[in-house]
Amino acid sequence: MSVELAPKGRESQGIYVLIFLLLLHLILLSLQIEDPTGAILVKKWVLFAGAPFISLFAGVTRGVGEVWINYVWLHGAREENARLHQAVGRLLLEARSLEQARQENERLRRLLAFKENASLQSIGARVVARAPDFLSRVVYLDRGEADGVRADCAVVTDSGIVGRVILASTHSSQVQLITNADASVGVVIERTGVPGVLRGSGGHMLEIGYIGGTEDVAVGDLVLTSGLDRIYPKGLPVGRVIESARGKTVFREIRVEPAADLLRIDEVLILLGAGAPPP
Amino acid sequence: MKVLFIAGSSFVAVVAQMIAGNSFFIFNFLDLSLILVAYWAIYRHRTQALFVGSTVGLLQDALLGWPLGYNGFGKTIAAFVIGQAAKRFNIEGPWIRFALISAASFLNALSMLLLFLLLQRNVSVIFVGASLMQSIITGGGGVLLFIALDAYKRTHTDKVS
Repeated sequence: MSVELAPKGRESQGIYVLIFLLLLHLILLSLQIEDPTGAILVKKWVLFAGAPFISLFAGVTRGVGEVWINYVWLHGAREENARLHQAVGRLLLEARSLEQARQENERLRRLLAFKENASLQSIGARVVARAPDFLSRVVYLDRGEADGVRADCAVVTDSGIVGRVILASTHSSQVQLITNADASVGVVIERTGVPGVLRGSGGHMLEIGYIGGTEDVAVGDLVLTSGLDRIYPKGLPVGRVIESARGKTVFREIRVEPAADLLRIDEVLILLGAGAPPP
Repeated sequence: MKVLFIAGSSFVAVVAQMIAGNSFFIFNFLDLSLILVAYWAIYRHRTQALFVGSTVGLLQDALLGWPLGYNGFGKTIAAFVIGQAAKRFNIEGPWIRFALISAASFLNALSMLLLFLLLQRNVSVIFVGASLMQSIITGGGGVLLFIALDAYKRTHTDKVS
C-alpha cells in the first residue's frame, strides 16, 4: 500500500531535490576547477569558510588558557615572585652591559658601512591552528590574500625558517612546515659553502640530500638557505647538523635539527617579497 | 528499470545530437537533451525530470570533455522551471510550449554563464548570441516533436477504443 504525499509535501520534496542536485553539481565542479594560482576551488572555499571558526576557537582557547594561567595557576606565586625579583636585578645589570656592547656594535657597523637587505617586505602573523594529524606538518595563520600573502611566500621566525605558504584564502593561509615530508629547501653549509637540498622527513628532524660523500660536513655545522629555490631568501638559518656520515650511495647522509622550534611556534613573519604573483 | 531507461534515453539524446550535429549544422543548435528533459517534466514526473536533467547534463559534460557539472546544473534548473510551469499553467498550446522550452533553454545557458563567471573561467561574447539561437531552435524543435508525440498518442488511443 503506497502512501500519497499531500500536494504541499510533494512540492517541498521537489524543491529539496532541486537544491540537493544543484549543490551536488557545484561541489563536483569545485573539485575539478582550479583558480589562477592553481588552487582547487573547493579547498579554497573550505579554508575561507573555516577561517572565522578557526580564529574564534583559537581566541577562545587562548582566552581560557590566559584565565587559567593568570587566575588559577598561582601555585607558589609568592616564592616565585621573590626569586624573580633577584633574577630581574641580575638581568638589569647584564642588560646595561649588553646595551653598551650594542651601541659599540652599531658604531662599528656604521664605520664599516654595513648595509642590511632592506628589500625584504614582511608581515607578522599568528598560528591559529595545526592540522589534526600530527604527521602532515601543516599550520594555519591568521593572514591571507587581503594582507598580500600569496602561495610560496616564505614563513620565518627570528630563530630560522618555518615553511612556506601553500594556500592563501582572503584572511587566512595554510603553511607547509619544512618538516613536512613533501617540503624541500635549497640550503648551503655555512662553514664550507657546500650546497644541498634539505627535505622534511615527516618527523621532527630534517635531511639534506645531494651532498657528495667526500664533502666536508661536520656535526654542529650551521645550515643556511641558499636562495636557489627562489622561495626562501639567501642566508636565513635553517638548522644545525646533528648527524653526518657517508651513506650507502655516493651522497652523505646528513640529519639536521631545525633552528626554529616548530612544535611551539606561535608568532611568525611572512615574507611578502617571494611567492606567486597576484591574479 | 526506470533508472536504466532514464540513463539510456539520456545517453541516446546526447549521442544523437553529437552525431547529427556532425552532419547537419542545425543540430548543433537543437538541444535534444533539453527536449528530453522537457518531455519528462511535462508528460511524466516533475521530480524525476530533475534527475533526468542532472543525468543528461553530466553525460553531456563527460562526452564534451568539460568539467562535470556545468550542463547538469543548467539542465536541472531548466527541468525545475518547466515542471513548475507545467503544474501552474495550461501549456497545451504550441506557442506557450515554444515560449516555455525556449525560456528554459536560455535559462540553462544563462546559468552556465554564471557558473563560468563564478568559477573564474573566461567567457566569449559569442556564447550569448549562440545561446539565443539555440533557445529559439530548441523551442521550435521541441514543439514539433511534442505535436508529433501528441498525434501519435491520439491515434493510438483511437485505435484502442
